[in-house]
Amino acid sequence: MQATTHREAGSAQASVVRHLLMDRLLHWCMAVAVVVLLVTAFLPIMGIKFAWVTLHWATGLLLLIALCWHVIRSMVAKPSGLMLLGRKDLRDAMADFAWFMRWRDQTPGKPGKYSAAQKLMHHSVSLFVITTVVTGLLMMVKIDTPLWKRDPYWLSDTLWGFIYILHDLAALSLITIIMIHIYFALRPEKRCYTRSMIRGWLTRTEYLRHHDPEKWRE
Amino acid sequence: MELLRYSRDAWGQEVLQGLSWDLLWLFFGAGVAFILIHALYVRFSAGNPR
Repeated sequence: MQATTHREAGSAQASVVRHLLMDRLLHWCMAVAVVVLLVTAFLPIMGIKFAWVTLHWATGLLLLIALCWHVIRSMVAKPSGLMLLGRKDLRDAMADFAWFMRWRDQTPGKPGKYSAAQKLMHHSVSLFVITTVVTGLLMMVKIDTPLWKRDPYWLSDTLWGFIYILHDLAALSLITIIMIHIYFALRPEKRCYTRSMIRGWLTRTEYLRHHDPEKWRE
Repeated sequence: MELLRYSRDAWGQEVLQGLSWDLLWLFFGAGVAFILIHALYVRFSAGNPR
């Protein structure tokens, strides 16, 4: 894995780049899109009525574009296997959890660029977002858009029912997982990662404290 | 609490409409519960913060 070092303007402390500008822009674009989608989906259900349908599907299409861009970048411009979750990651996650719960005293090893917990969070959000986007795209067949007229009879009622259930389940799960994601982003010990998603870098001290330089090389 | 939503089609048959929105508060509550349990555990667990 590659990271580059640079010096922050006005600071003598060397820092390690964690997220490039394009990755940060994609993250925040997708974050805003998911929040807009959740708000336009659930506020009308909670009784706050407004014209939500067009904003909802248009934002869904923007999320799809950002998602495709992110996937292509991950395959083309990133080291392969960076986010793969293997058996060792699961063992590390169990060791981290046992240490956190004070069931074991031995400090767990440091991760590479991403910890097992961070990979699990990424994959959970990915699963729910991809499910909502794919089912949402199918559901667009049932509304009029500038590109096509609605066709509610494209699939059987039973199949539509299952698509609705998948869309609803993934959207509801996103509420829980996004709450937990924001909670960890605001926790003091994780704030360096939030800063790195805004400004792009970790200090060298943070890098050495939280990561194994053998697994995430500069 | 209902798990699913149904409506009737033009022929009066029951049609599946998705998950019940009563579950919204269950998923929201699960998020709140996780955050509270984690925050309280970290705050009150003895020794160094982990």
